This record gives sequence, C-alpha cells and structure tokens, in this order.
Amino acid sequence: MITIRRSNDRGHANPGWRNSWYSFSFADYHDAAHMGFRSLRVINEDTIAPGRGFGAHAHRDMEIITYILEGHLAHKDSMTERHVIGPNTIQAMSAGTGVVHSEFNASENEPVHLLQIWIEPAMEDAEPSYREISFAPEDKRSKLKLLAGPHGSDGNASAVIHQDAKVYASELRPGEAVNYSLGPGRFGWVQVARGGASINGQHLSQGDGAAISDERELTLAGNDPDGAEFLLFDLA
Amino acid sequence: MQDVNVVVVFFSRTGATEQLALAAAVGAVQGRANIRLRRLPDVADEATIAGNPQWKENRERMNKEYVAPRETDAAWADAIVIGIAAGTDNVSPEFGAYTGKIGAVFADGSGNHALRASMERAGLIVLPDERASDALTQARLLGRRAAEAARSRRATTSG
Repeated sequence: MITIRRSNDRGHANPGWRNSWYSFSFADYHDAAHMGFRSLRVINEDTIAPGRGFGAHAHRDMEIITYILEGHLAHKDSMTERHVIGPNTIQAMSAGTGVVHSEFNASENEPVHLLQIWIEPAMEDAEPSYREISFAPEDKRSKLKLLAGPHGSDGNASAVIHQDAKVYASELRPGEAVNYSLGPGRFGWVQVARGGASINGQHLSQGDGAAISDERELTLAGNDPDGAEFLLFDLA
Repeated sequence: MQDVNVVVVFFSRTGATEQLALAAAVGAVQGRANIRLRRLPDVADEATIAGNPQWKENRERMNKEYVAPRETDAAWADAIVIGIAAGTDNVSPEFGAYTGKIGAVFADGSGNHALRASMERAGLIVLPDERASDALTQARLLGRRAAEAARSRRATTSG
C-alpha cells in the first residue's frame, strides 16, 4: 500500500525569516494523524533567509540528519563542532544524552533550502556524536546513494545512526528508473525534494511524500521534465 | 518522568562563559530537562566593545544565536542557572560582583556548602569559575543537578 502525503497538505509555518513545510507534526503544527511514520519522526523542508537561522537549542535521544538542497548552513554545537555544509554533504547528529546546537544560513545573500530529518533512535542515552558525509554528485545520479544507516551499513561512506533505518538519496533524469527491494516486514517512505517522481506508477510532485507498507518491490522513476531528486527511507 | 524547565542565563563577552553556559545546558538536558539559553545584553558602550575586536566579533555572533531573557522565562522556569564570569562585574556592578564571587568560591571548593545547597534548592545555580581546569565538567554537573533538584521540588510541591 502506498499512501501519499501531498505537499500542500503538510503543516506550514512562515515567521518571516524562514518558510517551513512539515510532513509530520512539529512545533506549533500538531496533527494526531501525522505524528511520524515508523521511526521517522520529522521531515521539515526549510528555506531560511540569508544570515538567519535556529538559535541555540537542545535535543536528546534523536538522530538528526540535514540534507542541503541549495545554499550553505553553518552548524555549531556543544561538542565544539563548527562546520559549514552545502549540497552533496549530509550532516548527521546523534543527540543521545544531550546536545545543544545552532544552525544558521551561512550566507548573507542567498537563502538556504534544506530537509531536516529526525529519526527516533532504538536506544536511549547514546554518546552524542556528529558526522558529515560528503559525496560526489554522480554518486546519487541514476542510483541510490546511502546517506545513513545502522552500524556496518557502508563503512565510512555513510553516517551511522542508532536505528534500524536506512536513508538514501537519488537524482533521476526524466524516464530514468531505479529499483529497490524492501525486506520482509519493512516499510518505506519517499520524499520528493525536487522535480517529480513516480513510485510504482503513482506520481509524486515536489514536496510530496509516500508511506509504503506491504510492498516489496519499488520502482522509482524520474517523472518530470526536470527529473527528480528524492530521499528513500527503509524502515523497520 | 515529570517535565522540568531550566533557564540558563549568561553573560559572555568573548565566548568563555558561553562555553560554560552551554555545558550547563547540556547537563540539564542530560537530566532530562527542557532548556532555554539566554544571553544578557551588553551594557557597555559601543566604543568600549569596538575596542575589543574579540568581544565585538563574538557579540555579533552571540546576538544571532541567543535571545535576551524574557519575562515569560521566569514563569516557565523550574530552575535558573546563572552564568556570569567569576570575578567580573560587567552586567550590573552589584549583581555581577556578588555572583562572580560566589562562583569563584564554589570553583575552588572552599565555598559554603550550605549556601550552595540552599541556592540550588531555590533553583538558583551559579556557574563555576571558567579558569578552573574542570570548569566544563563542573558546569555540566551543575546543569544536571539543577534539572534533578527542580524535578525533586516539583514532586514535593505537587505531591
């Protein structure tokens, strides 16, 4: 079964300095029917004005992944990590016992457009950690690039998260397709970041998501003149 | 587990006290508290701040990352951690000097433990001297104790 979560049905907030779309309940947007999917708790699509961002705030027991679509984000945290990340780099932070961090648009001129993802960890009180994984743009073109997964998924080529979940990114040209097999009892989520895609023949536009259950074989295709960029989650 | 709220209020010019405040906030989060981090606004005139490039640069950064304390914070908080560099008086001369001295005494271990305990019971906790070698660890423990003490007070008052 594939259940589509349309872009415009998502929660929305625009306090002026950012434009945010929430696939699941977040902050002041609360919808009991959309609290997450399996261990996937948050997918926020944020466009943040130049020089603005999220001031120092805390997290505990959460796997937080940031995927930049456009622009650059400056990260600073209580583990003394300070970085600026852009497209084709993901930031993965395990909040574990507790992390305080801030995220700001690193540019004074251009907006930053990103997906912020939270996955609930399988364990509490993990040691807080921060990882950045950079990859070549070709690594996700016409194929699925593993961004994050449990320990041992892909050596140092992906971020380790404390959950039985895998996160892939892909960019497909129009008409191009990739196949993915979900294991028995596994669930999937597809989030279209750019363009349009189809999943087993069902069309998804930019910002749409799809919850997948009781399906084993997935065919994901670029279904827009500009192709598609999307994230695929393989969830327990 | 009962929700508790900890506000960490600090003043920092060049970032050292900010690090302690961050450590205290992390400690409070470790103690499973909700936290708010607040930086007191500078009272020094612009010329003084401009005369210290490190202060000026850090002030610009910190003004982005932290908001000033708000009136609603006090109503929200179960505990307030006060972070002002030990031995300095750059917030208000009286308040800064007082809290700075308390911080310095706590930091070298010679403090009045009863005073410290009563302040912690009241939900007012002063960060250690940033010059202490284990200042960050102390700050983290203080933050954690603030959360735990607040939770224990909550249990007592709501019980």
